[in-house]
Amino acid sequence: MKYKILAIIIVVILAAGIIGSVLVLKAPAKSNVRVLSDGKEIYTADLMIAEDTTFDVEYQGHVNTVEIKDHQIRVLSADCPDQTCVHMSWLKSSATPVVCLPHKLIIEYIDASDEVDAVTG
Amino acid sequence: MSERVKRLTELAVLTAVALIIFVVELQIPNPFPIPGIKLGLANIITVYAVYHYRAREVAALVAVRLLLGSVLTGNLSALIYSASGAFLCLAGMLLLKRVIDEDHLWMASVFGAVLHNTGQMAVALLMLRTPSLLIYYPFLLVSGCLAGAFTGICAQIVTHRLKGWKR
Repeated sequence: MKYKILAIIIVVILAAGIIGSVLVLKAPAKSNVRVLSDGKEIYTADLMIAEDTTFDVEYQGHVNTVEIKDHQIRVLSADCPDQTCVHMSWLKSSATPVVCLPHKLIIEYIDASDEVDAVTG
Repeated sequence: MSERVKRLTELAVLTAVALIIFVVELQIPNPFPIPGIKLGLANIITVYAVYHYRAREVAALVAVRLLLGSVLTGNLSALIYSASGAFLCLAGMLLLKRVIDEDHLWMASVFGAVLHNTGQMAVALLMLRTPSLLIYYPFLLVSGCLAGAFTGICAQIVTHRLKGWKR
């Protein structure tokens, strides 16, 4: 009986996770992006008009190279050991920002309305 | 051989095995490149140890593995994420051990894995101050359930195999 209850709890957690994941994956992509380093906004762009470029983001001596190409943005390379942000590849949805935990770097979509003034080429 | 030395040696061997598994797992490409999602095969040893050693001993085992693991990978900044997850997981499993017997070890492992992901997420939110990170949490829940069940089943097999061998 005890184990039935525990099994039900596990199933509920799993179901909640699956439903949440599906909802998250359905969130649409936007076109304004920003790059945060250690919580500070260091770069914003409108991907629709942004030209292809690469730039380095430094954090405590570590470097992530961010690339914008064909109206997409990604981390091109990083000198962290786990390379998760590089493997995440292009930023796809507003629900799944590209994150580099060791270097506190986040690349995410933002709503166009509140950041228009900050848009740079 | 005194009982103390024997236990110390066993723990040292388990720690070494966990470290080896940890390093080998790093070589396996991760098909889900989301921070926090991994199989966590080294936790097979943790789950096994929770059911066969005292709380103090398991805590020491996990602490040494985390520290040496981050030294080996050179990823000291990731230590705070793995440590917070690991100790929330450990605390949860040590409590669940009183409720769940060894034959249902995999259930304890699932809860442990979910707690691990929860701890990591909490610290990541605190460190990065970016609420949108929460969006990863559903993925972490699913992966925690699956990875936890897998490592738990492995730990059950290990327990079964070691029964005849130990003592």
